[in-house]
Amino acid sequence: MAVSATYYDGQSAKTREVTVSADGTSVNFSGSETLPTRWSIAGLHAIDPPAPDQPYRLTHDETPGARLVLRDAAFIAALLARNPQLKGGYTKRDISHLLGWTIGGLAVFAALGYLAIYVIPGPIAAMLPQSWRDRTGTEMEHAMSMGITRCSTTDGDRAIGRLLANLAEGTPDMPPVSVHVYEIPIINAFALNGGHIIVTRKLLETADKPEELAGVLAHEIGHVAHKHPETQMVRLAGMQVLTSLFSGTNGGNMSSNMVFMAALLQQTRSTEAEADAYARDMIEKAQIDPEGMKSFFEKLLKIEKEHASDSKSLHVLGDLLSTHPGTEDRIKEIEPLPAGVTPKPALSDEDWKALKKICG
Amino acid sequence: MTDSSLFPAPQGGRPAPSFVPASPRLESLKFSYVKRSGLLKITLINFVFNILTLSLYRFWGKTNVRKHIWSSIHVNGEPLEYTGTGMELFKGFIFVFGLIILPFVVLSAVLRAVYGDNSPAAAAVSSLFGLFVYVMLGYAIYKARKYQLTRTFWRGIRGNLAGSAMTYSLTYFGSMLAKGFSLGWATPVMNTVLHEHITNDMRFGDAAFKFKGRAGPLYGTFALCWIMTGVLIVAGIFLIVFAGTVVEKIWPGLDKSKDTSLIAWLVFWGVLAFISYMLFIPALWSLYSAKQMRKFADYTRFDGAQFKLEATAGSIIWLSVANLLIFIFTLGFGWPFVQQRTFRYMIDRLKLEGAIDLERIRQSSLAIPTRGEGLADAFDVGAW
Repeated sequence: MAVSATYYDGQSAKTREVTVSADGTSVNFSGSETLPTRWSIAGLHAIDPPAPDQPYRLTHDETPGARLVLRDAAFIAALLARNPQLKGGYTKRDISHLLGWTIGGLAVFAALGYLAIYVIPGPIAAMLPQSWRDRTGTEMEHAMSMGITRCSTTDGDRAIGRLLANLAEGTPDMPPVSVHVYEIPIINAFALNGGHIIVTRKLLETADKPEELAGVLAHEIGHVAHKHPETQMVRLAGMQVLTSLFSGTNGGNMSSNMVFMAALLQQTRSTEAEADAYARDMIEKAQIDPEGMKSFFEKLLKIEKEHASDSKSLHVLGDLLSTHPGTEDRIKEIEPLPAGVTPKPALSDEDWKALKKICG
Repeated sequence: MTDSSLFPAPQGGRPAPSFVPASPRLESLKFSYVKRSGLLKITLINFVFNILTLSLYRFWGKTNVRKHIWSSIHVNGEPLEYTGTGMELFKGFIFVFGLIILPFVVLSAVLRAVYGDNSPAAAAVSSLFGLFVYVMLGYAIYKARKYQLTRTFWRGIRGNLAGSAMTYSLTYFGSMLAKGFSLGWATPVMNTVLHEHITNDMRFGDAAFKFKGRAGPLYGTFALCWIMTGVLIVAGIFLIVFAGTVVEKIWPGLDKSKDTSLIAWLVFWGVLAFISYMLFIPALWSLYSAKQMRKFADYTRFDGAQFKLEATAGSIIWLSVANLLIFIFTLGFGWPFVQQRTFRYMIDRLKLEGAIDLERIRQSSLAIPTRGEGLADAFDVGAW
């Protein structure tokens, strides 16, 4: 079957009318201005997938600029029936290649992500000099407390000092810390770089006994001792580089950020457990009654339940996503002092009263 | 032309002999957008793989969309062809990312970590990078256009840009300054200068496009839009204040001294003002856009033939609103359809008056870039 077609040689925009025929191994064409040409089937490529009422265009490896434009539907159908690879567009092979590359890429991403989240940050944070930790800690505290009043009285500050000294009783290698109380109306405490610890006024109000505050502080000192804030900073920086590396945007896109958030929350839960373990150990060595730590957690639990939704599934979700281990689990881990050990007060009544009045 | 009976050419096919003026070698050109199926499939594959690859697939996805749209644009029944590849775009991205973005990100992160957030060194690096971005914006646009043109074929002949991207970039940077300092009044002049620059550099094979015209005729519409924008803003402020006082009178529960109702009050009016701002002002300016598009087409010639573009403010508003809705309701994944609509808008309204000696046009020997659009992708300009 020989049909008419149009040929462009890739050198000029001139339209050349040709007559085309095809056999099992090649497409052959010639015309009044075109020398007889043989295009082997193996070297043929379709420019677009064939579409009804559209010209069907072919090119060949040996003459990459040249185009043969077919319009005869029967001829095109016959050619494609013999050579389905000329259908162009997405083939099954394209899709499986794409999937292969994608899975490979994701594996590399996951491996790098694992290193960036779990392996590298700790050692790097440990190597950072004390001067850097102090400076960034001061900066972070400054940034966090922008526009917020710091509570400070001579007696209150002295009481904090004594509470810390009592906590350090059995833990001589306790890292140096500075504890500041701020006028913040939520119950929370933060450990920042370089041993800066922030306690909110609301948390101080919620604590009814010095042992309760001692539990919270011991937990934050645990974060400081494990250099968790510094590790987190290195981890975030690494993840930012990694997401921008992979997505080519400044800080990642939605899907990669979601992956990282999930990993990050998980990681935060394990750091909380580490800080809890440190706190339990510290409290026991200081012979402070762990009952305080326990009762404070129970208060938190009560507040949590008041705010929690009735929906069970939401609760489970909240538990999965929350940065702190489930409060109930944390309470279970706390054991009383060994038999025969008399608890020491975490703070004298007088000091505790002064501390409670630190925000006026 | 014996084949014309054998091949009933589709709409806009090779013109019948009676169509051809004077010399038989001259042809007039007719543009048409012939929809083909397959865009939805491309869109869905892009959607899935963009998520799976954390958006890295976008270079390949973008390429497939362009191939589809280019193939739908017919000139005298012969479709355009896009020959770019995802790998070229990916290389462009890696080049720019590795050579410019990453060193900057690392350098400023290191400076911040070592000298603190407020260190002058980190601030200097940041502002230097900001300046670099502004100076290079035009470069990115020019290079992206050059890449796209060199990958655009018709009848086996490719387009190109024959000038210097750096010259264009400096002009572009100057135009941004001029527009800013003149409160926008330099816009018609600067746009004309920029458009003239890039159009005169444009080639199809060895044939050149020519742009010649003044910005003067654009100023009437520009002044109207500029003044009306001012009127709209003043009227908007007045309306908000006026309506606010009315609402205060008829809304019994409103107590501005209480935080919540004050916030609700502010948010309500803020949102209303923002929506009107987002709708009315761009709608107003489409008057100017339409005028500029028509004029720029009038000013453009190709080998003795004259372009015409029948753009109107109403059709631009309709195009933009529909595109915006598609974009919003598909959460951005309908982008290929937005592009198709935009191209279709232009092609349906574009005409070339006069005839051209196409057979004389040869492939040009101008250099062709091997990578694509890295900077434009990074700066988010023109590399859609």
